[in-house]
Amino acid sequence: MQKFFTNSAEQTEQLAERLAKTLGGCEVIAMFGGLGAGKTAFTRGLARGLGIDEGVCSPTFALVHEYEGKFMVYHFDMYRVTTYDDLYSTGFFDYEGCGVMVIEWSENIEPFLPENRINITIRTLSENEREITIEGAEEI
Amino acid sequence: MKIFAIDTTASPASAAILSDGRLLGEYYLNIKTTHSQTLMPMTESLFKNTNISIDDIDVFAVNAGPGSFTGVRIGVASIKGMTFTSDKPCASVSTLEAMAFGIPYFSGIVCAVMDARCAQVYNALFRLENGEVRRLCEDRAISIQELSDELNNYKDETVYLAGDGAELCFRAFSENLPNVRLVPENIRFQHAYGTAKAAERLISEGKLCTSDELMPIYLRVPQAERELKARQQK
Repeated sequence: MQKFFTNSAEQTEQLAERLAKTLGGCEVIAMFGGLGAGKTAFTRGLARGLGIDEGVCSPTFALVHEYEGKFMVYHFDMYRVTTYDDLYSTGFFDYEGCGVMVIEWSENIEPFLPENRINITIRTLSENEREITIEGAEEI
Repeated sequence: MKIFAIDTTASPASAAILSDGRLLGEYYLNIKTTHSQTLMPMTESLFKNTNISIDDIDVFAVNAGPGSFTGVRIGVASIKGMTFTSDKPCASVSTLEAMAFGIPYFSGIVCAVMDARCAQVYNALFRLENGEVRRLCEDRAISIQELSDELNNYKDETVYLAGDGAELCFRAFSENLPNVRLVPENIRFQHAYGTAKAAERLISEGKLCTSDELMPIYLRVPQAERELKARQQK
């Protein structure tokens, strides 16, 4: 388990960019943290680390965004997904093993996540400060 | 009688043409690329290399479920598209039944299992005897534990596990059920050949449907739902 503190969204992005460098291409990255914690900022940095420089925004309405960089990145938002049927009909299970899956609001679907995954927990300390815990990843 | 059959319900994708019971050609891929990218090139190549026109096909068969949400839709939508204008008859085949029809090389029980996540599987049991496939129960979503208990009824027979849930079940069962075996890898998963053979049975029973009637078949996984709710409440 690795723990980091960031003081701005930009620093959060930079941290995620470092994590991106350790990825092999088919990881499941489960993100935990409430509204405004910085999950999308983290994903933006992660995508940048994989050569995806623009277009990353929260897939709250689309449920999943696909980005093509060094690897395919599938960016999920499970905010409105609260049942197994919901999850199944997003096609979520069809993506496993096909690229890097980044999942916002993993809280909602935790029992269905694969055990072999990276957990990112973002805790809001103040308006700009965040505590970011990374589990299951290589040292960054 | 020519049957064109496809399967895209899980990780593998395949297409086959059967003519009067004989397999003329089959294309099978089990890679990570999505079926929307592989199915049509496979189909095109199959028709070209067998020198058969789509107009020569009498029945279009598809594994219509259970399976992955997107996979099932890709297969059903493709066959709907191919039969939309000709209105040729379609065969809606159970993926689990296609598995059993794909491996009629022994006598015993086929336990077809697809991983539905959360320790649940899509499952049906079949008895194989002298190349005949007999269904023992309806397609269902069932927990691995319940299935294990049920298989105690077949302790005197050899039970062969097929499908992408086979290894998962094998690990869970093998301690208590020494009569359980894994089907060899190359024929463990559903193939379009099995779909075509299952379609032959539907043809003989007069159970074909129209392009319009062909629909995806999804099985509900009630236990997974309950488990999710229970954990969320903790």
